[in-house]
Amino acid sequence: MFVGAVTGVFGLSVALLLLYLVRKDHLHVSHGLWWTIAILLFATLGFAPSIFDQLAHHLGVNYAPVLGISLAIGALVIKALMSDLESTKLKVSQQRLIQKVSLLEADLQELSEKPPIDD
Amino acid sequence: MTQYDPLKRALTDQSAAIIMPAFNEQASITQLVERIKECSNRPIWVIDDFSTDATAKYATDAGARVIRLPEQLGAWAATQTGLRAAHRENMACVVTMDADGQHDPADIERLMAPIISGTADVVIGSCPERGSRLRHLAWWLMRLASGLSCNDLTSGYRALNDKAIALMAGPSANHLEYQDIGVLLMFERAQLRIVEVPVQMPNRADGKSRIFSSWLAVIHYMAQTLILGASKRRRPTVKFRKSSTRS
Repeated sequence: MFVGAVTGVFGLSVALLLLYLVRKDHLHVSHGLWWTIAILLFATLGFAPSIFDQLAHHLGVNYAPVLGISLAIGALVIKALMSDLESTKLKVSQQRLIQKVSLLEADLQELSEKPPIDD
Repeated sequence: MTQYDPLKRALTDQSAAIIMPAFNEQASITQLVERIKECSNRPIWVIDDFSTDATAKYATDAGARVIRLPEQLGAWAATQTGLRAAHRENMACVVTMDADGQHDPADIERLMAPIISGTADVVIGSCPERGSRLRHLAWWLMRLASGLSCNDLTSGYRALNDKAIALMAGPSANHLEYQDIGVLLMFERAQLRIVEVPVQMPNRADGKSRIFSSWLAVIHYMAQTLILGASKRRRPTVKFRKSSTRS
């Protein structure tokens, strides 16, 4: 029971921290959503671990904590993969912008070196 | 009315350009630009990959057009910047070459010839004799993983026509780290005609490679290249022939 309360309180604290980070613009709301769901689930299961025992029983898992650990690892792998997909998209976008800036700067340089147009 | 023919445009000097990515090449860039000017009348574009020395100034003074990247992006992305500029300016042909003196400017017009005659979309200046046994082993592995049949997979000395320029200027090419098999696989997938022209490539003046700077760098490069080759290789086309008679 004590362990459940600790994990529950921990989950709620992290959920509050996430809300704070979103509020202060340190974390984009799209990332905050994922973590909020994960942490609230974590807190719920922390306060009521018997839900897990029942779920494990229904799924035929003999030792309920293994189910929790497996699900947590699965969720983290998916999250890590999503982060890499996002990072790839950002890298390409950033690289293209840098290239574009260099081309525009070259244009600007060439224009500034040209003599003014006569009327 | 005269019909627009992009290949014929390559015959004029200003519809083709020479693109050179450069990083800290102040020691050799002036001489190289001068040498290119002796061999070709095409405009020379140096893409300065955020050099910390006076590469950009020396290249400008020597008569090249310099495009300076505000951050270091690597040799391929620098080359691609030049290709984007070429695409924007409707160039009919470009030649890409290294600024480290490995590529002889005397071969520029030879590389462009198949593009101008319309017999190729991409021409690779090929020198498979160069390099150590280890490099040849790496090429063999790269060929095995990618299914490519080119003799020289890593040569950056290439001529591209407008179709190939447009392909390389697109965002898909920004996913590539190097100019080797990823680029060649894109050409192959787009069914561009690739021709190899034999050229001579002396060793680098400083003897150092940016990619093969350490064993760790070699392992990183090979792992990335092999994964890319295996994941993007073309599936073999299976043709089913219909039998005319029944047994």
